[in-house]
Amino acid sequence: MSAAFGSASHWAAGGEGVPAQPGLSLIRALQFGDSLLPVGGFAFSAGLESAIQTGVVSDVHTLEEFTRTALQEAALGDGIGLIWAHRAASAGDLAWLARVDEAVHARKLASEARTMSLRMGRKLTELGAAVIDAPLLIAWRERVAAGTAFSCYPVALGSVFAAQGLPARDAFAVHQYGVAAMLLGAALRLMRIDHIATQRLLYRLNSDVDAAYTHAADARLEDMAGFAPLTEVLAAVHVKASVRLFMS
Amino acid sequence: MAAANGQGTPSRPLGGAAVVGARTGSVFAEPAAFRDEPAQMRSGAVGKNGFLRLGFERRGACTVLAELDRRIPCLVQRALYPEAALPDFAWVFMITTTGCVLQGDRLTLKLQLGPGARAHVTTQAATKIHSMDANYAAQTQAIRLEDGAYLEFLPEPLIPHRGARFLSETTIELSETATLLYGEILLPGRKHHRPDECFGAALLQLAMTATRPDGRLLFTERLLLEPARRSLRQTGVMGDFDVLGNAVVLTPPDVAERIEARTEAAVDLADGVACGACRLPNDAGLIFKVLGREAAQVRAAMRRFWAIVRAEATGAPLSAPFFWR
Repeated sequence: MSAAFGSASHWAAGGEGVPAQPGLSLIRALQFGDSLLPVGGFAFSAGLESAIQTGVVSDVHTLEEFTRTALQEAALGDGIGLIWAHRAASAGDLAWLARVDEAVHARKLASEARTMSLRMGRKLTELGAAVIDAPLLIAWRERVAAGTAFSCYPVALGSVFAAQGLPARDAFAVHQYGVAAMLLGAALRLMRIDHIATQRLLYRLNSDVDAAYTHAADARLEDMAGFAPLTEVLAAVHVKASVRLFMS
Repeated sequence: MAAANGQGTPSRPLGGAAVVGARTGSVFAEPAAFRDEPAQMRSGAVGKNGFLRLGFERRGACTVLAELDRRIPCLVQRALYPEAALPDFAWVFMITTTGCVLQGDRLTLKLQLGPGARAHVTTQAATKIHSMDANYAAQTQAIRLEDGAYLEFLPEPLIPHRGARFLSETTIELSETATLLYGEILLPGRKHHRPDECFGAALLQLAMTATRPDGRLLFTERLLLEPARRSLRQTGVMGDFDVLGNAVVLTPPDVAERIEARTEAAVDLADGVACGACRLPNDAGLIFKVLGREAAQVRAAMRRFWAIVRAEATGAPLSAPFFWR
């Protein structure tokens, strides 16, 4: 990683919304949005395993709805936290970032969802600090290592994008993409569905991401909300299940 | 002022972006779409600005209702001691003299348990939130539990009628040695009354935040239901279920572990009932959710959970249900 592309931003030079190096910005966003990024996303199904075992998800239609629910929950909850984490990290304010992190963590009520957010967030923080070499990420990693910060996944993602000068909108889009890609990737291994069907769903489901971002970017941190009780019950069922392929 | 309780003139609700819950200091965003005043009595007018303060204290072997302050439409008469197995255990029934929640209502509850006090607080009947065409209804609840206190806060179900807008904000402050069981049942509306009554509310926001006395944040839950914007029937939200039970148990980790081990977790689509419990962040306790097609299924599951909590937290069994409830 060249120091020229540190926190100085390959965006700032190009003015508002126009990156000076659009190709590089895209590559950076792709790298940290890739499902192959070694932060362990493949190990989780975010309740889909239980949903399929109990018959809540049984076909392409119910899979689409279940994934849409997860995307709406992310946009109303974690996505708002991610945007505030991006703001705090862009300002270089670790205390502010820690407050956002604490608020995101306190809203992860299902234990497996919390475990997932913490594991992926910590791995991304370590990876980001090692790869990007930005002082903010290194300082944040130290806090996480010392046990004084959680670094939930949306907070880690927001700060990794901020440290590279990539916009919050990109981080938000990558987060939403990750939610859908994780569920649909797990669906391939859990139910009768082919790659074409999951790609069609992935294409269709995120088409409103810009409206979702506009809404989330207007929200206060304390507006993080949600309503998916059946998903939460499925998370509880998964904890007690005897046969499990996924960690959530 | 009609209520003879010395609370003085109710303050006019603020017209700005936030409403301050009377005497609780809690602030929530006022919904921008619903700031118009009702054609009837204005928001927060006399009779629409309820206040209730309940203070329980342990005196010798007994828990007494040491503090009671109220303003219409909120009413509490006295503590009752109906459980033979727990003679010290105070029961209080909260009553509303208007019989329902109406547009423009601002209700405030302050509930406090001193060291070692044990109480059960419920409502006399279901809370019906009437249809609204202007403004909204809001309630703020502040609950504080000191060392070793034990509270069961289990009101009768909420029934939001079509078009209802209801905001509820609950703040909890509890000691590490206290236990709180807070349980609510949410019905979809008067579902057999007319088709658009089932999930016909315009806006429901049920928020809860718990902290330790030193300010440490334990957890926050903010349930936001806007059926017109997002179908509650969607898979993963309510699906084919109509009724939601939501219970939070804030208790020391060893008690939470025993409760979790005994709590069922299952989804039964044939019977139309699903439930399960998760451990809350920051070792705060547990959250239990139950979904059912009918209220009776949810009440039964909530009661089973209540019995587990009662047994693990106090060692005492639950009494048989009162025949009139």
